[in-house]
Amino acid sequence: MASTSDVAFLLLVFFIVMPMKTDEIGISLVLPGKSNVNDTAKVNLKNVATIRVLPSNGILFDEQPVRLSDLVRLIQDRLTSNDKTVVILETHPDANYGMMVACLDEVKLSGARKFSLKTTKI
Amino acid sequence: MPFERTTDKRKQDIPTSSMGDIAFLLLVFFMVTVVFTDESGLVVQLPRAEASEEGIRDLISNIYINRDGLISIDDVIVRATDVAPIMSNKIVENPFMIVAFKTDKETPYRAVDEVMEGLKEANAVKVLFNTDMEIPGFMY
Repeated sequence: MASTSDVAFLLLVFFIVMPMKTDEIGISLVLPGKSNVNDTAKVNLKNVATIRVLPSNGILFDEQPVRLSDLVRLIQDRLTSNDKTVVILETHPDANYGMMVACLDEVKLSGARKFSLKTTKI
Repeated sequence: MPFERTTDKRKQDIPTSSMGDIAFLLLVFFMVTVVFTDESGLVVQLPRAEASEEGIRDLISNIYINRDGLISIDDVIVRATDVAPIMSNKIVENPFMIVAFKTDKETPYRAVDEVMEGLKEANAVKVLFNTDMEIPGFMY
């Protein structure tokens, strides 16, 4: 009988800790859908910075090959020189999803607020 | 005249007899309020990201895509073309729904793109690309 409260506390800890195991973390986005199709805007090509993810999972920033770790700095430089910069992340269908997310992560970390996803047409 | 030492003879024990009752009360509360997910999904290895943010669990509807491009919604394997009608029904039930992509990092982007096209068609535009949290400067 003396161990009843011990068992209760053990179960209590279990039920407190279980819901804390959150796996719902990630990078959130709003896709262009039917309802917000009117929100699309034309952008001057001078204000566009394009990140291309190749089938080999290599990365091009404005057609120049770059390393993933350099992306944040490159985007921030572009934003500093032109605050109207829109980042387009164009991913090839054969590239890995992981590489697309890694680039998206860098875009978010750079502080770019205007960005869009695109898929390379093949 | 010698001083007389005055000692407090009162008992100073903390009553613990009600501890079990409190523990059981809290236990019942947490047992009642806890929500377990009953979706097993597919085995995926999520990509890591630093800029991750927490999604609102109650609004989330999962889409699992494994590295072979298999798509699972509510534990049913579906084709990419089925995503739009399924999600159209779900968005009617919950207009604030967030679609969580639980996708393997090795999955070809083609599969994700096809699913996203289905979501756009269904007007389920709020998405969350699920990631594992990456701790800056920490090597795994």
